[in-house]
Amino acid sequence: MNFLKRAWQNITFKKGRSLLLIIVMTVIMVFIMAGLLIRNGAVATVENTKNEAGASVTLAADRQKAFSKMRKQASSSGERPSLNMESVSLKTVKKIAKLSQVKSYNVSVSTSVDADSFDSISTSSGSSVMMGGGGPQGESDDDSTTGDITVNGVNDMSTITEFKNNKSTIKSGRALNSDDVGTKNVVIENELAKENDLEVGDTITVKDTTSDTNSYELTIVGIYKASSTSTSQMMGPGQSDPSNTIYTAYDLANTFKGQSGKVDSATYSLNSPTQKSAFIKTAKKDINTNKFSLVADDSTYQQLKKSMKQMESFANKIVWLVAIAGTIILALIIILMVRERRYEMGVLLSLGESRIKIVGQLLVEMLMLLIVSLTLAGATGKFAGQALSKQMMSQITSTTTSSTDQPGRMGGAPTTGPSSNSGEKPSGQPNGQPGQTANNGTNKQNQPEMKLQISAVTLLQLGAFGFTIIAFAVLLASMNILRLEPRKILIG
Amino acid sequence: MLSTKDVSYWYDNQEGALYKDVNLDFESGKLYGIIGSSGSGKTTLLTMLAGLDRPSKGEILYNDTSLKQISLSKYRNQYVSIVFQSYNLLPYMSAVDNVVTAMKITHSESENMRDKAMRTLAKVGIDETLAVKNVLKLSGGQQQRVAIVRAMCCDAPIVVADEPTGNLDETNTQEIITLFQELAHEQDKCVILVTHEKEVSKRCDIQYELSKKKFTQV
Repeated sequence: MNFLKRAWQNITFKKGRSLLLIIVMTVIMVFIMAGLLIRNGAVATVENTKNEAGASVTLAADRQKAFSKMRKQASSSGERPSLNMESVSLKTVKKIAKLSQVKSYNVSVSTSVDADSFDSISTSSGSSVMMGGGGPQGESDDDSTTGDITVNGVNDMSTITEFKNNKSTIKSGRALNSDDVGTKNVVIENELAKENDLEVGDTITVKDTTSDTNSYELTIVGIYKASSTSTSQMMGPGQSDPSNTIYTAYDLANTFKGQSGKVDSATYSLNSPTQKSAFIKTAKKDINTNKFSLVADDSTYQQLKKSMKQMESFANKIVWLVAIAGTIILALIIILMVRERRYEMGVLLSLGESRIKIVGQLLVEMLMLLIVSLTLAGATGKFAGQALSKQMMSQITSTTTSSTDQPGRMGGAPTTGPSSNSGEKPSGQPNGQPGQTANNGTNKQNQPEMKLQISAVTLLQLGAFGFTIIAFAVLLASMNILRLEPRKILIG
Repeated sequence: MLSTKDVSYWYDNQEGALYKDVNLDFESGKLYGIIGSSGSGKTTLLTMLAGLDRPSKGEILYNDTSLKQISLSKYRNQYVSIVFQSYNLLPYMSAVDNVVTAMKITHSESENMRDKAMRTLAKVGIDETLAVKNVLKLSGGQQQRVAIVRAMCCDAPIVVADEPTGNLDETNTQEIITLFQELAHEQDKCVILVTHEKEVSKRCDIQYELSKKKFTQV
């Protein structure tokens, strides 16, 4: 163990050189630590996201099949075709909801009514807001069966994407939940409430569009605020202002629609995205696949996974690049150090010291310095990792945003629901509003928060990297030592 | 104890050999002086005797066994101690640590190595204060004494020294030679000095002169 003492004596004698080596090693270790933290953080975030984000599967009428059926009927009868979208039986919805993979579910019935005791908001092409619609202040001139108020019948507002992503928020009162089924409670939009001086607790009257005579008195239990961008983005020519959208329980919406025991669509939130395939396979047994489809939406998870995979990949590159560069840098430093210490090594060789022990002394010296560097890197690596991950995250987010902020998927997309909550779409309307992006505004909200935590495993990984780097560097430098001829060194 | 058998040495070709077929014998308990002009090859002979180099032809025998059989590393570790003109001490250690380190490397037998090193250093005039100082803070003469003590404390039966007084003044030179004499006569070691100073070689028991590529006993 003589060489251990020699190693200690050497590093304490040459304090300046030791300090310099500690600084170099610490810089290398800090970068590796940051890389490891980001990589481990990314892996953990993907895992957490998998557990938290889950996935949703929407059960709704199969639009493509409905279109095919419509065309077939048109060609055989020669009449003008009409698209008949089948509603889903509530019984089937509830049966599927009992499957083990389902965490929660929401149903959606979309329809429209005419405002009676209040004014709806109408928007001219110049975007100026005007009061209009039904009611004492002004009768609607529109004779069509589409009312001026869009009704979204749901059983739980909290699961609606707009609310989940905080694009829409409850401003006063409360959101609707399953307890509101069987009631005439309603949640209206803030602008609509303001324009009509309505508050939580007030009542409003609407008329259904099927008979235009049935009047319903609804109690306002909540007022929500739609996102500021939704007005300009969601509205298309001839469409109602988004402020005219109200939320009721699905059974009330069914009453407006003149149907019962049916819903437009049902969205199931699964426990984990990995259960998606198994769920669809089982659920398909309970539905008529000629009329209905089950479409999965794990876009949130996939998007996060993509970001995290990119982070992981970047972090891996950092770790390996720094490790390789670190090995080269340290090897060069040690090679120079060995050249400087040729004389000392010659003395040891002349005393009969084995070359292995001389290499061992060098390795021990480096390991002693590495321990100090690891301690420093352990203390500071987290901050470097945080700064680096923040930078990388914003880079990835901007890349993702620019790649997804393409012109919006236009209405009439063949699928129903999966890209957004189907409960928000009026019946018979194409999925997605004109000009609306598929994942509109969700990128920033979906940007995962990556927690960088130093664990014993991370420190062990760092130690292993440090040791490997040192071992490689010393091994490279040792080739010089092994070639040393004491005679040439000492009697030159 | 130590002998050269038909030793020849050359760098590039045999025609330019430093010497050919050298046969010398070295016994324990004697101080040998090898004298010759600069560049004659006396240090080269010493490096072969010290196990730092191999002869181009012939062999070095230790107790009738070729160094090839013993292996140079083992020979240096167990049978020979070397004292250099430039002392060759480990610069990051104190005088006593240099001695103890060498004792440990050569597996010298001593119950308390540090005590033995301190006692021996004191004998050559390196007191405790100097002994614990870093060797670079000692004078040339003191460093050479430390180097000799290093050789004395190791159990090697052979001590070879290359121009050990080359960097020293007259007083220190005499004291150092006395130490080598004590090493040979009192510790029964075989001490071989290489020097170009006739005054130094005159104090040796046996002198070999290297002249015109031949060694002759003076």
